[in-house]
Amino acid sequence: MIAKLGASARHLLGHDPAGRNLRTYPDDTFIVSYPKSGNTWTRFLVASLIHNEAPMTFLKADKVIPSIDSQSRKYFKSLPRPRVIKSHFPFDQNYKRVIYIVRDPKDVAVSQYHYQIKRKVLQDGHPIDEWIARYVAGDTCPYGSWGENVASWLAARRQNPDFLLLRYEDMIRQTGLELIKIARFFGIDPTPERIQWAISQSTADRMRKLEQKEAGQWESTKDTRKDKFFVRNAKAGEGKATLSPAAIAQIEAAWGPLMRWLGYETAAVSRAHSTEQERGFLEAVLEQPAR
Amino acid sequence: MNYHLELMIKKLLGADIAERNFAIFPDDTFLVSYPRSGNTWTRFLIANLVYPNVDVSFKNIERLIPDTSSQSSRALRRTPRPRIIKTHEYFDHRCRKIICIVRDPRDVVLSYHQFQRKYRHIEDGYPLVKYVDDFVSGRLNSKDWGTWGENVASWFYTRGKSKDFLLLRYEDMMEDPVRELARTATFLGIDSDPARIEQAVQRSSADRMRELEKTQSADWVATKNHRTDIPFVRVAMSGGWKEKLPAECVAQIEAAWGETMVVLGYELVTPTLPEQAHQIGAKLTAASRAKQEVR
Repeated sequence: MIAKLGASARHLLGHDPAGRNLRTYPDDTFIVSYPKSGNTWTRFLVASLIHNEAPMTFLKADKVIPSIDSQSRKYFKSLPRPRVIKSHFPFDQNYKRVIYIVRDPKDVAVSQYHYQIKRKVLQDGHPIDEWIARYVAGDTCPYGSWGENVASWLAARRQNPDFLLLRYEDMIRQTGLELIKIARFFGIDPTPERIQWAISQSTADRMRKLEQKEAGQWESTKDTRKDKFFVRNAKAGEGKATLSPAAIAQIEAAWGPLMRWLGYETAAVSRAHSTEQERGFLEAVLEQPAR
Repeated sequence: MNYHLELMIKKLLGADIAERNFAIFPDDTFLVSYPRSGNTWTRFLIANLVYPNVDVSFKNIERLIPDTSSQSSRALRRTPRPRIIKTHEYFDHRCRKIICIVRDPRDVVLSYHQFQRKYRHIEDGYPLVKYVDDFVSGRLNSKDWGTWGENVASWFYTRGKSKDFLLLRYEDMMEDPVRELARTATFLGIDSDPARIEQAVQRSSADRMRELEKTQSADWVATKNHRTDIPFVRVAMSGGWKEKLPAECVAQIEAAWGETMVVLGYELVTPTLPEQAHQIGAKLTAASRAKQEVR
């Protein structure tokens, strides 16, 4: 009862985290992804693209592109429109303009595993193969499984002009080109200076240095182990290189068709990549094995 | 502030409407559908199946199979487990066991049009063509269910292949309710004794539900305080769109959701669409990639 009273009082004052109760506007843009898919990096890029007057930091990025699960409803109300908001939720019909970032679920797995060690959810050396089974079932994260999260958004919105799908791997490989798409999505003129500035603010090296300074204050790193880092590998392909064949097989058994539709390599299937590309999203998802 | 104070008191008392904010248990089953897709009929069928000794009616349906959009979080908490819960919400990953009812969106829109007149969400003379445009573009004056395409796709393409997912097509239920209810019984782990199924189907017939609505519309949360000259239980048939829906509206719906409709077994009729619909996936994939290259 006391806890409920506290929660109700926070709600009354608008101090509760917004979550699904956020009041949205049609001109809001949401940066959505499954966790550990490059959302923080994208926020850095977008925040420095929009606010190109001063250097970007974790704390500033958190203020200008707040996370729906950490800032209060009151804070969201005080933000000037049009707002840019970060979220990890599966499909939410109230988000009318969405940039959705996907990343190879093998790499997401490795990243999430290490982040859980940093957050002391897992201990050092926890057997990753056992953990992968829970990851595939969607039990390691409050936003559904990777496949559910990705499929829910693609199923509902992939044809919508207000939905921009980005692959983390493309952003790594050709940051400038992908950032130009983002700029156009925001109606920002992608001049070379502006794109270059945003990229320079968001390099992995710069973000690693900033993390050392800000880790104690930033929402996602305070109260976590300081000997492990939030900005870690910042590369593509770690899953393939480090996961066991059994772990990779579990991931591909669960989401193989969806992964191939997104252009991610899978080992288990002989079907030519190009054939897969010609098939529809829905067919691909429906080919997924029964679970 | 008054609104928030009221909400706070309601939350404290557990009297706030559940919507997406209530505790879910692992043994819950969810009866999900877009509105006007046969959910109420299915609720009656399942309630009569599960509780053969209860006189299921509009007076007790909310206790037997509560609705997340009209019942409080407390009422849901007090529903005996294992619960069967009705909802029109789009995908919620916390829900494990799902019975998903789909209906041809060309019929859904006609039913919804009448329903929103009943609820006075639109005026009586609101043109159907305009209404279909609202329906397709997500501009309906209703709760946040998403569009038909978003709502159905969000469930079907995340969970369609799960063993904990049962797809019921309204049209199949119309054609052979005994067969479909027997499938549902098996899914729920209930004895599918033919006599029990037959009894549940008879007790949930459209005629019987119309009779119940006549005497109980003031007792049911979904019909009380709404105009009674337009019934909730309407024609209870499928394919009405072929006569009543203008070709341009049919084309608009098929253009928007043709791919999902084909996957669900709804044949497209717009002359230029059918062949396209089967290749639509390929084209969309290519187009969306091309579009992104251009951007």
